[in-house]
Amino acid sequence: MKIWVVRILSIIGTLVAVFGFEFFMRGLVAQDQSLDYIYRLAVLAGLFVTLAVSLNLINGITGQFSIGHASFYMVGAYAGATLTNSLYKIQPLGPETWLFVVALGGAVAAGIAGLIVGLHSLRLKGDYLAIVTLGFGEIIRIIVFNQPFLGGSFGLNIADKNDKSLWAVLLLAILCIAVCRNLCQTPHGLAFLAVREDEVASSAMGVNVTRVKVTAFIVGSAFAGAAGALLGVYDGLITPDTFRMDVSFLILTMVVLGGTGSITGSVIAALLLFSIPEWPRFMVEGGKPWQVTGATLLAGAICLIVSVYLVKRTIDEYHGPQRTKTLRIVGIVGGGIIGTVLLGTVFGLIPVLANRTWDVGALRMVFLAVTLIVLMLIRPQGIFGHEEFGWQKAMKALRFGKPGANPT
Amino acid sequence: MDVLLSPLAGLQMDFGALPQQLVNGILIGSIYALIALGYTMVYGVLRLINFAHGEVFMIGCYAALFTSWAMGFTATGMQAAKPPTSNIVTLLIMLFVSMAVCSLVGVTIERFAYRPMRNQSRIASLITAIGVSLLLQFGGQLFLPPLQQNIQAEVNPFRDTISLTLRQAPASLKQEFKTASLAQKAAEERLAELAPPGALTSELSPEALEVRERLSELTIKSNSLRAQVNDASVFVVIQKGKLIMFAAALVLMIILRHIVLKTATGRAMRAVNHDFQSASLMGVNVNRVITYTFMIGSALAGAGAMMNSTFEGTAITPFAGVALGVKAFVAAVLGGIGNIPGAVLGGILMGVAESLVVWVGLSGYKDAIAFVILIVILLFRPGGLLGSSAVEKV
Amino acid sequence: MIRQLLPAGLCALAISAFMVGCKPAEPTGTTGTGSSTPSTSTSAGTTPATAARTAPEAPGNEITGDTIKIGLVASQNGELRPWGIDTVSGAKLAEEEVNAAGGINGKKIQVMVGDSASNPQDGKNAAQKLIADGAVVVLGEVASGITAQMNEVAYEKGVPLIAIGATRTDLAQKGNFFRVCYTDDFQGPVMAAFAYRELNLRRVAIMTDRSTPYSTGLSDSFRKKFTELGGEIVTEEFYQSKETQFTAQLTNVKGKTPDGIFMSGYFPEVGPMARQIRDIGMKDVKLLGGDGWDSTELTSGGGDAIIGGFFCNHYNNQEPREEVKKFLAAWNKKYATTPGTTMGALGYDATMLAVDAIRRATTPNSKGILEALEATENFMSVSGKITLKGNNGNPPKRALVVEVSRTGQVFRKAYEPGDL
Repeated sequence: MKIWVVRILSIIGTLVAVFGFEFFMRGLVAQDQSLDYIYRLAVLAGLFVTLAVSLNLINGITGQFSIGHASFYMVGAYAGATLTNSLYKIQPLGPETWLFVVALGGAVAAGIAGLIVGLHSLRLKGDYLAIVTLGFGEIIRIIVFNQPFLGGSFGLNIADKNDKSLWAVLLLAILCIAVCRNLCQTPHGLAFLAVREDEVASSAMGVNVTRVKVTAFIVGSAFAGAAGALLGVYDGLITPDTFRMDVSFLILTMVVLGGTGSITGSVIAALLLFSIPEWPRFMVEGGKPWQVTGATLLAGAICLIVSVYLVKRTIDEYHGPQRTKTLRIVGIVGGGIIGTVLLGTVFGLIPVLANRTWDVGALRMVFLAVTLIVLMLIRPQGIFGHEEFGWQKAMKALRFGKPGANPT
Repeated sequence: MDVLLSPLAGLQMDFGALPQQLVNGILIGSIYALIALGYTMVYGVLRLINFAHGEVFMIGCYAALFTSWAMGFTATGMQAAKPPTSNIVTLLIMLFVSMAVCSLVGVTIERFAYRPMRNQSRIASLITAIGVSLLLQFGGQLFLPPLQQNIQAEVNPFRDTISLTLRQAPASLKQEFKTASLAQKAAEERLAELAPPGALTSELSPEALEVRERLSELTIKSNSLRAQVNDASVFVVIQKGKLIMFAAALVLMIILRHIVLKTATGRAMRAVNHDFQSASLMGVNVNRVITYTFMIGSALAGAGAMMNSTFEGTAITPFAGVALGVKAFVAAVLGGIGNIPGAVLGGILMGVAESLVVWVGLSGYKDAIAFVILIVILLFRPGGLLGSSAVEKV
Repeated sequence: MIRQLLPAGLCALAISAFMVGCKPAEPTGTTGTGSSTPSTSTSAGTTPATAARTAPEAPGNEITGDTIKIGLVASQNGELRPWGIDTVSGAKLAEEEVNAAGGINGKKIQVMVGDSASNPQDGKNAAQKLIADGAVVVLGEVASGITAQMNEVAYEKGVPLIAIGATRTDLAQKGNFFRVCYTDDFQGPVMAAFAYRELNLRRVAIMTDRSTPYSTGLSDSFRKKFTELGGEIVTEEFYQSKETQFTAQLTNVKGKTPDGIFMSGYFPEVGPMARQIRDIGMKDVKLLGGDGWDSTELTSGGGDAIIGGFFCNHYNNQEPREEVKKFLAAWNKKYATTPGTTMGALGYDATMLAVDAIRRATTPNSKGILEALEATENFMSVSGKITLKGNNGNPPKRALVVEVSRTGQVFRKAYEPGDL
């Protein structure tokens, strides 16, 4: 009985939180129009969280190697757009309720696409499955290019857009997280994990491998599709270029960087990776972006390589107490920063290096790439590994002042 | 349904052009195959999809470009009073530099990005590979020339074409065409007397206009006759340079085959391919084998890069490796990833398939067809054409 | 129990704390789901603009302080970077010139650059950030797809947007949209008329880059006009940007024996394509194209094959006009080269047009600038005269047809807007 009370209370709490947040953001935007940018970032972040967590269900929890998640995102977006364009005018629902319909439509369409791709997972393993999912994305994109009624390369306009849909995006993200988390704690979810760990053994134990795999694909892609539909309705225009292969890779990276199978990891990594290219937009002084000279760049690169090497060695080979280990790492990172400044000053004396400058904005994608490589080198198992970040762990960490995750 | 089927309405099959399209496909396929070999070899020893391989190809393009510049083949150099001339030695130097630079880059990437990840899960190495690929693309953008670059057409000394006639058109038709084209030529000469070449209608005298009007009629006539001759005969036109490209690709593949089958390194590679752990237990220096693998695979990408950018004149940008890289990767999977003859077969098959899709009039779907074929083939042979499917875990 | 209640409880607490602290003024409704109406943006669809445009409702940004902020969205990353950095250079050149001449009424202008990374979503982020930072007018982008996304934001915020190279016709339906380039609806017919009348071509094949709206739109308008004139489009073949091999498509084209080939894509693909056209034996077929060809690297890409090709351009760097000479001299002084693509001049023009409008604006805010832009008449720019008054944002501009030669572009014929 008690569990139901908890459930209902958490649902109510979530709803209050989501609508509160929406209310709060709108209030902010109403006071200061320029915060609309933050609102937009929040929406996109929510969508990426959904995408990452839903791919984690396929990739991390069920262990099916899918690298074409953007295709489901795209199917959902186009389904939602077509649905809105054809039906919104003649139906009685208000713009808010319509969001549910659109999300559902996108989810159904992407779920069907997921079923088609998922059926391949029955016969294909590992990288072969990966390339099929990737190929599916490319095929969908090229088909859209060639269909004038979907707008071709120009994209599809959505006449009745709803750009106040942060709450729907957040609800979707939370729903996605909840479904994945709760799944892992039920016997059904154990079947998923079993398939990941050993397909043959799990089928010997009576797990219906076929059903598990296809379910994972359908559920994962349905969430991605719902996210796509919400993106379309939020943006008012969708173009095939938004769903390029690199978006698939970005989502995959979020999953792996967070730790395959860790939902909290996916969430954190999604927020991190999504935001990194946006940071340089804030690195502006008096309207002028920060300038990076060749000297700083070279010094930074050298110090980064050295400190990554040292950090990695400390993690792998130092077996002293945890506290000293942490201190050492902090020391190395600090040393790296100081070294960059010092070396940068020295290199600044060389005119060739000092005179070549770039806007920090032009380095956005390089930052992303470097972050990826460095994080993977230092923590190959992902930020959270296979583990979840729970409240108990947080309490423990707070109480003892030690990081909770301990890689084995 | 009509909308979806609309592209099919434009279907066309000109069987006279089929041999030409097959040849086109095989030539393109040989480049795919060269790059696919790099993917497949690395996969064979490390079970890693080397996503940075396309970027190694891109660096090979730039290496060839800069070598050609160093030898004087720049835009200004070609307009100089005495422009440099190209011969087979020039091409060999470019080929060598490109292969050497690519091997170096490949080995460096392996040493610093992949080796530290060797004992980690494969998906982690995959993400590192994506990171390296992004770094090379966007980092390259900071330092390389901002505009797209091309290797000067003059670098390729074999620009003339050879024609291979498989079926002659009727002699009468050919004669008719010859007369028509002679008449056309005469009118052209007449026009050239009256006006400078390339003159516009608004710049012509009334007399010249009259001549040109006649010329246009004659051209239409000779063009339609040419079309008839084309339809009635079957022939293949190949640029000599592309034949050389194909021959070079074949030679490189034969050398590779020799290395893999006949040398000690090759045996070690095959051993590592078969079973990484046992090989290292049996005394195979796994690190060295992996270095060699990256070296050879990257060198082949470098050769492909040099030949593609010289003989096809393709644009060289920091993103040049993305499209070709993906296609080559598909080719490798198609043939059975990890399997060397499979990569060659997959590459050629893909080149031919793409040509045939264009041939039937679906050029808009050219890039999709590679994946469609892949999916269809994988449905029947889950391990690719020549590969075997084993259970793997991600 | 605690574990399951905590997340929701904490969130709820945090949110209610925020809400009590801020007391936001919600104008449209009282609850989160609220009764806010969806914004009534007009659909661009694929139909051309005909009716009068709807002006944006939002007030836009005010000019505050002693700098006037102009936002510029350009691709500093990704495959559109060649055009992106030219745009930035052009805009920076204009900024420097205006500020050296004392700015606008004593206020300095400041061009803030946002990176779109050749990606519509990033372009929209960039535009939104620039507007949030106080840009009174937004310039950019080169590609129509990105511009369309940017304009979604700019329209909502009531900020005028001046597109630099987006030639897609249906973009101009929103009342805040202006451009300094001409549209596909003009450029395509110019080339069709030139091919039919001046070059006497009757049978033309088209090569279209299906992955860019620019090329698709240009090919469509070319086909329409050329068939209208009485010519025949023998075939249309497709490719995608970044492709390198066109022999398969060109073999099809060859089988149709055309007099000319219209290549509507961008120069990185056009150059190699021209080489491959000659390589497979189409020796005397005329090559035609749009302004996507304009680049200092066109001849290095196409070699001898592209020499003698014709394309449509906004201006010609050998033109004797005062603006062109002055612009090229200034560019050469600042960057020690010539503009790599036509976008250098268009970026400069867009900035200068914005500056001109800010000068003429009756009120120092986006709305005033928008009205001033709408009233622009005979603004002399590097790329020709720009009149926006009564033209729904699409300036009827002069188009030059130039011929590619080893030494640069040779001017062949000018088309005024009414000529067709």
